[in-house]
Amino acid sequence: MARVLFDHVTKRFGEVVAVNDLNLEVTDGEFLVLVGPSGCGKSTTLRMLAGLDAITEGSIYIGDRRVDNVPAKDRDLAMVFQSYALYPHMSVGDNIGFGLKLRGASKSQVRERVERAAETLGIEELLERKPRALSGGQRQRVALGRAIVREPEVFLLDEPLSNLDAKLRVQTRTEISKLHRRLGTTFVYVTHDQVEAMTMATRIAVLNLGLLQQVGPPQELYERPANVFVAGFIGSPSMNFFQPVVRSEGETLRLDMHGLSIEVPARWVPGLLPYDGRPIVLGVRPEHIHDPAYLPSGVLPASIRATVDVTELMGNETFLHLDREGTRFLARVDPRTQATPAQEAEVVIDVSRMHAFDPETEQRIEAQAAPAEASGTEAVS
Amino acid sequence: MSLGVPVPAREGRPALGYWFRATWARLPLHAAVIGFAVLWSVPTVALLISSFREPSAIASSGWWTATVDTLTLDNYRTVLDQRGMGRSFINSVLITLPATALVVLVASGAAYAFAWMPFRGRGLLFLVVVGLLVVPLQMTLIPVLRLYAAMTVNEELPLLGGNVFGINSFTGIWLAHAAYGMPFAIFLLRNFFSSLPRDLIEAAKLDGASEWQVFWRIVLPLSVPALAALGIFQFLWTWNDLLIALVLLGDPDLAPMTLRITNLVGSFGSSYQLLTAAAFISMALPLVVFFAFQRFFVQGILAGATKG
Repeated sequence: MARVLFDHVTKRFGEVVAVNDLNLEVTDGEFLVLVGPSGCGKSTTLRMLAGLDAITEGSIYIGDRRVDNVPAKDRDLAMVFQSYALYPHMSVGDNIGFGLKLRGASKSQVRERVERAAETLGIEELLERKPRALSGGQRQRVALGRAIVREPEVFLLDEPLSNLDAKLRVQTRTEISKLHRRLGTTFVYVTHDQVEAMTMATRIAVLNLGLLQQVGPPQELYERPANVFVAGFIGSPSMNFFQPVVRSEGETLRLDMHGLSIEVPARWVPGLLPYDGRPIVLGVRPEHIHDPAYLPSGVLPASIRATVDVTELMGNETFLHLDREGTRFLARVDPRTQATPAQEAEVVIDVSRMHAFDPETEQRIEAQAAPAEASGTEAVS
Repeated sequence: MSLGVPVPAREGRPALGYWFRATWARLPLHAAVIGFAVLWSVPTVALLISSFREPSAIASSGWWTATVDTLTLDNYRTVLDQRGMGRSFINSVLITLPATALVVLVASGAAYAFAWMPFRGRGLLFLVVVGLLVVPLQMTLIPVLRLYAAMTVNEELPLLGGNVFGINSFTGIWLAHAAYGMPFAIFLLRNFFSSLPRDLIEAAKLDGASEWQVFWRIVLPLSVPALAALGIFQFLWTWNDLLIALVLLGDPDLAPMTLRITNLVGSFGSSYQLLTAAAFISMALPLVVFFAFQRFFVQGILAGATKG
């Protein structure tokens, strides 16, 4: 077990900067998820940690050891690949035990630890088989087995669930979380899927275009995204953005857009005061737009009328695709909501859950701490 | 469930009709393929039958007139006993097997480095190796011969015979064959090796494997078809080689079969019964090798075409 530290790490491929001055500490025993769209540098970050790609600038520490020039085989890491990368010519047992054998463990030791790992993952009866005789889910487990059997300092997982079908993915997700809790080892997990990130991570690091955008626990990223990118990336379906203009009216501030005027809650006033007369980016999550007929408690309502574009009935909820004077947005409302496409409907924005961003820097405009607000615990799926 | 639509019968005649249609459609193709196969085999069959016939029969009638009771094994007996073909068969084996092994061993190591070990100048060096493919062997014979002449160690090599190195030595001809076979061998194996999934190599490294262990435990076992195909190619080339043996092995005691048969043509140009028998003896081992490994051979020609 060990902490991992990225200290001003930069990776360039020719002219392209894949990772730009990354500073990130993964504490011992943590489950850190690196998430971002494709090409954001998350896989490169993992590969640099693994020793598969060289670092252009900066250093990486595992524990107290600086590993910049340590070859992959001496870093004491285990990695689960997206393709599983099982050795096709070896049986499952040999696949799992390969690393132990190379490190000079005795035959009986290898057998014992392979069996223990297989038992942990429920693949005891597969040990004699060749990888090609296994299903995708079974291969996935073998790949995990190959990683855990070595009891490495850090586990690296590179999109390990992408090749599984949806049902198996959910199941394996919880299993990996359980595995992490049981082993207590540091996990670094790469994915492009923010749902995986939200459900598994103790902390998430969001990357975009090689730059670290924000690091924090899932709930913090959801509630206080540092910038427009994180706000749009974390949460599913993603956040709606509007571009209202701030206008002061006596002691209060109002946000004007599309012939609407919304009063800014008091705790946002100090932050938004400097923007008086200027536009800002207003973010509202679909789950914070409600049908007035089924309003939950604790909502600070601001009513808005819009044309219904499409309704998507999911059973447990309904998605309303709305259009207000060319601005499209999505509301995630109570399934009992009655709405007909092409007709006007009234929805209610919960202003207490709004997010504000500077339109130029795209950085978050902070509100004061909410005194009485029940901290949100919405399930994100 | 009634849909009100008649469901077509699925078994019986429709399937049979389809089979007929498919067969008819492919008949011209099959006929052509069989035709070519027969045409290609005729000379070999003629050679085989002639090798079992009396000299007088060969002189007076065509091979297709032969009947089973007129055939004889005398030709083979003569060739093997009196014309030194037995010794040259052994020489051919002594030349071919080590030369083949040397090519496969060295080329696989080089190919691994070209495929998976980044080093400065790798691309250029590989280009040079591939470039050697276009250098005609004949151009190099005189320089190599002069070099060998200068380097000849005129002492008898224990067990095998011949000189220790240089002209008239087994070691010299192994080295020559290995060197001439190397560009193609490296080219073939490097392309096969680099088609192996990168993840496998990286997984092995994270499992703690050194380059040597990756090569020996991952890359080589996964490349058996390519190695076998290369082995067969190299075996056939070396076995069928006349030119290099002619230049480097003057000593008749060391001559391989190709050289011996050429000499037979010179001294017994009209003794077709002996020439055909000798030719067939020289074909025997390659045929055995080919049929034993033809599965790998076909796979190996497609090496690198698709990921296994």
